[in-house]
Amino acid sequence: MSYKKNWNLVISAFVIVGILLAGCAPTKSAPTAAPAAGGTLRWSLEGINELPALDPPLAGASQSVGVISLVFEGLVRLDSDLNIAPAGAESWDVKDGGKTFIFHIRKDLKFADGSPVTAEDFAYSLNRAFSPDFANGNAGYYLSNIIGSTDVTEGKAATVSGVKVIDPQTLEIDLQVPSVYFLYQLTFPASFVVSKKAIEANPTNWTDTAFGTGPFMVKEWKHNQSITLIPNPNYWLGKPQVSEIEMPFIQDPATALKLYQTGELDIMGTYNFPTDQLPSVSASPDFKQVNQFFVTYIGFNNARPPFDNVKVRQAFAKAVDKATLINKVLEGAVVQADTLIPPGMPGFNESAAKIQELSLAEAKSLLAEAGYPDGKDFPKVSFTINNQDPNYAKIAATLQQMWKENLGVDVEINTEELSKFNDDLTATANNPTDAAALSFYISVWGADYPDPQNFVSQQLRTDVGNNNGHYSNAEFDKLVDQADVEPDQTKRLPMYQQAEQIALTEIGWLPLYYGKANLLISSKVQGIVVTPQGLFPQGDWTKVTVGK
Amino acid sequence: MWRTILRRALSLIFVLFSVTFLTFIVSYLAPGDPVRNMMGGRQDPVRYVFLRHLYGLDQPWFQQYATFVLHLFQGNLGYSFKYPERPVWDLIATGVPVSLKLGLLALTLSLLIGVPVGIFAAVHQSTWKDTSIMGAMLALYSIPSFVMIPIVWVIDLALYKAGLPYLPVAGWGTPLHVILPVLVLAAANVGFIARIMRNSMLEVMRQDFIRTARAKGLPERLVLRRHVFRNALLPLLTVLGPATAFLITGAFVVENLFAIPGIGYLSIQAIGQRDYPVIQATTILLALSVVLMNMITDFGYTLADPRVRIE
Amino acid sequence: MTDNANSVEQTLTFRPWWIYFLRNRAAAVSVVFVLTSLFFALVGPTFYQRLLPAEQRNLRNGVYQDYDVINGTSSAMHWLGTDYLGRDTLTRLFVAVRVSLLVALLVETLNIGLGGILGLLAGYFGGWVDMLISRAADMLFAFPGLLLAILVSAVFGSTARDLYGGTGRLLLVATSLSLVSWPLMARLVRSETLSIKSRDFILATRGLGASNFRIIVRHILPNVTWLIIVAATLDVASVIVSEATLSLLGLGIEEPGASLGLMIFRAVSKLERYPMQVFIPAVAITTLVIAFSFVGDGLRDALDPHSRRIS
Repeated sequence: MSYKKNWNLVISAFVIVGILLAGCAPTKSAPTAAPAAGGTLRWSLEGINELPALDPPLAGASQSVGVISLVFEGLVRLDSDLNIAPAGAESWDVKDGGKTFIFHIRKDLKFADGSPVTAEDFAYSLNRAFSPDFANGNAGYYLSNIIGSTDVTEGKAATVSGVKVIDPQTLEIDLQVPSVYFLYQLTFPASFVVSKKAIEANPTNWTDTAFGTGPFMVKEWKHNQSITLIPNPNYWLGKPQVSEIEMPFIQDPATALKLYQTGELDIMGTYNFPTDQLPSVSASPDFKQVNQFFVTYIGFNNARPPFDNVKVRQAFAKAVDKATLINKVLEGAVVQADTLIPPGMPGFNESAAKIQELSLAEAKSLLAEAGYPDGKDFPKVSFTINNQDPNYAKIAATLQQMWKENLGVDVEINTEELSKFNDDLTATANNPTDAAALSFYISVWGADYPDPQNFVSQQLRTDVGNNNGHYSNAEFDKLVDQADVEPDQTKRLPMYQQAEQIALTEIGWLPLYYGKANLLISSKVQGIVVTPQGLFPQGDWTKVTVGK
Repeated sequence: MWRTILRRALSLIFVLFSVTFLTFIVSYLAPGDPVRNMMGGRQDPVRYVFLRHLYGLDQPWFQQYATFVLHLFQGNLGYSFKYPERPVWDLIATGVPVSLKLGLLALTLSLLIGVPVGIFAAVHQSTWKDTSIMGAMLALYSIPSFVMIPIVWVIDLALYKAGLPYLPVAGWGTPLHVILPVLVLAAANVGFIARIMRNSMLEVMRQDFIRTARAKGLPERLVLRRHVFRNALLPLLTVLGPATAFLITGAFVVENLFAIPGIGYLSIQAIGQRDYPVIQATTILLALSVVLMNMITDFGYTLADPRVRIE
Repeated sequence: MTDNANSVEQTLTFRPWWIYFLRNRAAAVSVVFVLTSLFFALVGPTFYQRLLPAEQRNLRNGVYQDYDVINGTSSAMHWLGTDYLGRDTLTRLFVAVRVSLLVALLVETLNIGLGGILGLLAGYFGGWVDMLISRAADMLFAFPGLLLAILVSAVFGSTARDLYGGTGRLLLVATSLSLVSWPLMARLVRSETLSIKSRDFILATRGLGASNFRIIVRHILPNVTWLIIVAATLDVASVIVSEATLSLLGLGIEEPGASLGLMIFRAVSKLERYPMQVFIPAVAITTLVIAFSFVGDGLRDALDPHSRRIS
């Protein structure tokens, strides 16, 4: 039997659709005339749907740091070998054994809008970074060593007393304690120079058209969608050849991978990679894999039973079959970690690797010595993980089984959202014996700068902010305190290594694996290098090109 | 007439009030300290107090709620927790037209396909045609979009590699970008709508006046055209409300995977990060659209069917 | 022959309802399917494991991780292969179906209890009772689909687990899903109650001096039972899909438990390499949804007094 549709309804629906589609005119403006020799670089920012911050003192997320580092620059920068190289400062003098730094600002240094940059601007930027408005930012974290900085944040002073403008080309910075790695701390965005003129002209939205002394400047920031950069014509090394960098925000890395595979991106994976798809992608010539300075580890609450007993910690450590975990369960997407200082960082000690080897017999005997033969009477403990990284669930499940089989211990897995996890971590730091404190947990630490101090002293020294597990060893403290102020690199590295041995033997942390950066970079892109600290231009940005 | 409009408006306000209250309460009772989370685990008591005050978190709950509602009227949706000191409106303003476009297109498409399919199935009730079509519709309804999308991608990628014309796998900006997400979003909704259409058609077809018409000897074709359709279209209006609601939850996943800068995209991340101001704002916006849709359909219903009186 | 003359209390039946039901082939097959699935879900794992000698049984228990067969394909030992941690897929499938059905059962019980009773009361008493209940329902209706369930699970999920473990999560999921389902049930029951209330036989019974309670329980309730059953059965389909969606967002059942949504979610990123890991649970969801829908439709056709076919 046949029947007629209600044509009126159908036709009007088509009309509606037509109108709506017409409204979908491309929102991008027509492309400008054919780009210059450099070409357009399409580089995805995975894991976010909006850039959290473009104002240097507010940089926190790695995506923000990435974009900020393209637009702004500070006194010094890192080169592709991860050494300190001049940037805004063409040279500097270190006095008082590392307590005073005198920077000679480059002559003719200009902002992208042509205005000249002097020591005044650097001082302005530093004072601004420490001001109470940015108390939530990263300046206080990395640069608190500068004399008078905390006074400004607390509102007691208007300017930082340790930052002195000697003359328009000379800037002096005084530190509270001598620091060999201060220059590294300056490569972090907090100290990057910003344009007072631009900020005062548009205090709330100046970042929408941000510019600084970096190789690029912001052309357009389409919120929740992408940010587009164009070369800074006044960059002190010369105008970059790349005509445009388009950086879309892609929440899900699987989406970014698909975009790359259909030729819509030139670089992907910088911030997040769908590791499940590694096997199908690793054969491609575009695929690059580099160790990262990120260590994922198991932290223990050293101040509360049962993990206050070093033998218990050692038993747990020796019962973990890291090789199986990493090669089979995680399918080799990461690198096994047996040291605190990651490979590639100065101070990495290959021979430290054997301390925490898998040894079931030893594990069992250690646990028995601690008073829990075959896991008898072992208190019920919760292994806490956060739900941010999908790998954590796999790891926790595997470890739970390993501990059950190898030690006879029942471990409960406790998954928490990141915010609750952070809360609990803080509670553990403040009140380790409290019921709310965690027993043991998975956490991750990424290098802020390529120096062992960041991994050793800043993590495990007694009562340091990041030492949530309250690991404490007097010998360790003595060694790192010495190493932190020792100006001679050949002397300080062995000190860190010795300290590392102590912490590893006592299992202050149980390192599991180092992250690997997995990237796809099109062969069209010339002049970019992948380092453990991220993507850098070989040399500098003026030499990077994107072919057809 | 005006009395009903007034009553309806009051009802609308009541519903909105309760939605804001519910979202507020849920956020308020949530475990975890948003300020501490914002500070990222760094210890700084000065900053802590400052932030708590900025977000009004140091006030008692009823005061917080009052401020919240007051700000709503002023169009101030507060500041995001995740992106410190960024007004929530800034964050979602650009997303609204995008989601609207995506949603309306998907709704239209799913109606265009779902309605005729539902009718067809009802007319051929209990035959193999009915069963197989409804089976297909139900399958579409039950396959989560996060499964459909990777499958679609696999096919699209294969097309690309074979050098055949293909569709953009993600992103937004050109008419081509619109096709895949609308298709996926509409797919599940088609099943939903087809079902409802079929049910309402069947209900109408069972009515006595239909039986009378048939008994009078009217050919089935005319029975359908003259009597069934007119009356079945009314329940179609009631479909719009739930269909929109269904569409909205579907949009979360679709926007997320296709990297479409709409409200769903932001919401998912906000939920995961407990960015309550953003969650509240998007929830209210979404609830508002559903309520408006319901209101429109209710009015449409009254206009179309004189027998119905709004309570 | 109008409805009024036909007191539904003594329906003109020519055959018992289940004959009509079984005549509907799709429904009949579906019922068998559902019962079989239930049977297998309950006893399947035990038999499957018993087929092995005692010391090997834990290989098939669905939680044991055998690192040597990670992502394995179907084999003699593991009939449907293994997942990303080397756990037996078939057992996990059985457990997952169990979970889905259990959640559905819990939700529908709450749905029927809460929605059914409230709908009856609202419809029968009218006045402020009705207003109160209807407003509450409207309030929850305004929340687009799953959004409320998502919010509740997100906010209280970890607390539930801390206090009650895995069962706590299950209960929380069921509670939040029923929060969004009962309004619909209440609305349907209320409409039907309203129409029954106005019938002559009710008037007569009241004239005889029957109490409200008696009228509701002995006269109205039996006539809305079919509606409740049908609505509940049809709702099961959407509950199964909702539970899967909650798992996508990490808000549903957690590891090492199994749920259809969770299994799909974990496997989706490996779609191109191990498609079976996605298809198996996806097919399970789809067939369950289709089956329950056909059963619901069949029940409605057989029980709905308006639809009784006289042939």
